[in-house]
Amino acid sequence: MTLGIHEFLMVSGLLFAIGFVGLLIRRNALILFMCLELMLNAVNLALVAFSRFTETMGGNLFVFFIITVAAAEVAVGLAILVALFRKRRSVYVQELGALKN
Amino acid sequence: MNWSHFFALTATHQWGSIFPEICLVVLALSLLIIDVLGGRRIDRRLVARVAITGQLLLVLVAFTALIGTDDRLDRETFSGMLVHSQFGQIMRFFFLVSSVLVTYLGGIFLKKNPLPGTEFHAIWLLVTAALMLLAQSNHFVMLFVALETVTVGFYVLVSYNRNLSNGLAAGLKYLILGGVSTAILLMGIALLYGIAESSGLENSARNALKFDELGKFLEFNSDNSIARTGVLLVVAGIAFKIGAVPFQIWIPDVYQGAPTPVTAALAVSSKAGGFAVLVALVSGPFRPMADLLVPVLSAIAMATILFGNIAALTMRNVKRLMGLSGVSHAGYLLIGVVAMFAIPEARNAIVFYLVTYLLATFSVFGVMAHVSEGGRDDIQPIDVYRNLSRENPFLGGVLALGLASLAGIPPLAGFVGKFLLFYAAFKAQLYGLLGVAVIGVVLSIYYYFGWIKEATFRDWKLSRLEDEPSPRPKVWPELGLAGKIILGGLALLILLLGLYPGPLSSLSQY
Repeated sequence: MTLGIHEFLMVSGLLFAIGFVGLLIRRNALILFMCLELMLNAVNLALVAFSRFTETMGGNLFVFFIITVAAAEVAVGLAILVALFRKRRSVYVQELGALKN
Repeated sequence: MNWSHFFALTATHQWGSIFPEICLVVLALSLLIIDVLGGRRIDRRLVARVAITGQLLLVLVAFTALIGTDDRLDRETFSGMLVHSQFGQIMRFFFLVSSVLVTYLGGIFLKKNPLPGTEFHAIWLLVTAALMLLAQSNHFVMLFVALETVTVGFYVLVSYNRNLSNGLAAGLKYLILGGVSTAILLMGIALLYGIAESSGLENSARNALKFDELGKFLEFNSDNSIARTGVLLVVAGIAFKIGAVPFQIWIPDVYQGAPTPVTAALAVSSKAGGFAVLVALVSGPFRPMADLLVPVLSAIAMATILFGNIAALTMRNVKRLMGLSGVSHAGYLLIGVVAMFAIPEARNAIVFYLVTYLLATFSVFGVMAHVSEGGRDDIQPIDVYRNLSRENPFLGGVLALGLASLAGIPPLAGFVGKFLLFYAAFKAQLYGLLGVAVIGVVLSIYYYFGWIKEATFRDWKLSRLEDEPSPRPKVWPELGLAGKIILGGLALLILLLGLYPGPLSSLSQY
């Protein structure tokens, strides 16, 4: 049995949904970063699958840019989180985001 | 000086077409080199001065290029990654001017707060270069990379004040929500790419990541459900950048926690960047999707105007107030975007509105940067402005002009901006949207004039509340010559553009 484009897209959509739901319900900032990565990688999977089945290179190339940018984003994110941890001694967003007027 | 030789050279060479962006990056790198070579011996203000001087030179070069380049327009460079349209040239100039102003505000902020300064200016210059490329992008890879350079730069800048845990929390919030919006935008791009290149459909594109090829595909397949989902996801990703409902939840907290110059940059440059992309997409590839996008964008615009104005009514912190009022301005601009589907000339109105918004917002933020104290940059209650006009008439006058222009009071530039936008909406027969916009403008007068009242007339009714503690010692800041020139120039331009809008509106005729 060979896998078609639909199976790949279903997995991709599932990963995207898991990441999104995780962002909504989890409270640990590190897990939020993981959920973000999950969503970006769901996109990567969709792009590679499309690229394979339409036999064009655009999607494959795009994936490299997404991986690079995601790495930069997480590097900045972890730096902010470390600085914030030193102030507040916590990685839970409800204790971090005390931005009340 | 005669630039004709230079232009002749650039006409045959692609790298010349992104000359301003290259200069900005070189300037950013040389700031870092100055910092490393100078060490602790150099004056902290030297870096800011070099940054401002370099950018002012670039503004001059870009302005000469803006006037005399008709033969080099509508040309694609870098195998279709960029397109040099008139709109892109104007936005490029817009971002450069706003970059100079942010650098100036950053200099004031860094004088009051003990933070390393070079990185602030260097990162901001890189963000500006990316914004300028974003306005000219013609390919989704280019759009994504430029947009993310802007966003990642903003993550750093928002959390730049490391001593302030609210600032760091704002950075984290912006990063997580920005990451979600990026993922949504990318999913939209992936769907569009996949459906447009699949050979099963008619008129499938060969290079669907390019805007014009995608547009050709969408013209024939505008009722394809996957393409529709993709378009909606892309618009949702951009709506986050411009702060439209329902993607505006980050705005108040991030605007409050970010350093004041970064708040100004988020309010003007980041928002204008989002609109530059939206305008490029709506006038290009997404044009055939009018039956889908007109109702969606209209609903978003209505909700954005009402939410921004109603939420701003109760705000006592001026940074949150400016953030939420900025949300409502995004709503007015979205009306222009909707009108563009019916009459493409609405683009001129959007450009004009963005320029008036830049002038007014930077006058207000210029006053805020001068008035705010060092240390707790996130706490700027409206009470701080009490009696500003009496004790410092210049700052009070600039603040009043800026706020009145944002509210759209007749002789000022903001009025002409709103008038052109609403006239375009009227010609496009968007009467419902117009009604909501008028309600929004009326509501906005309440909070803008509440602030002006606080700065100007508060003393009159206060005489019977003598024992109320004064929130701050009344030491108003000293403006240097540069401050007087910049703030005075902004205020003067607000007046001039209101009385005589001809030059700019003729510049944006195309």
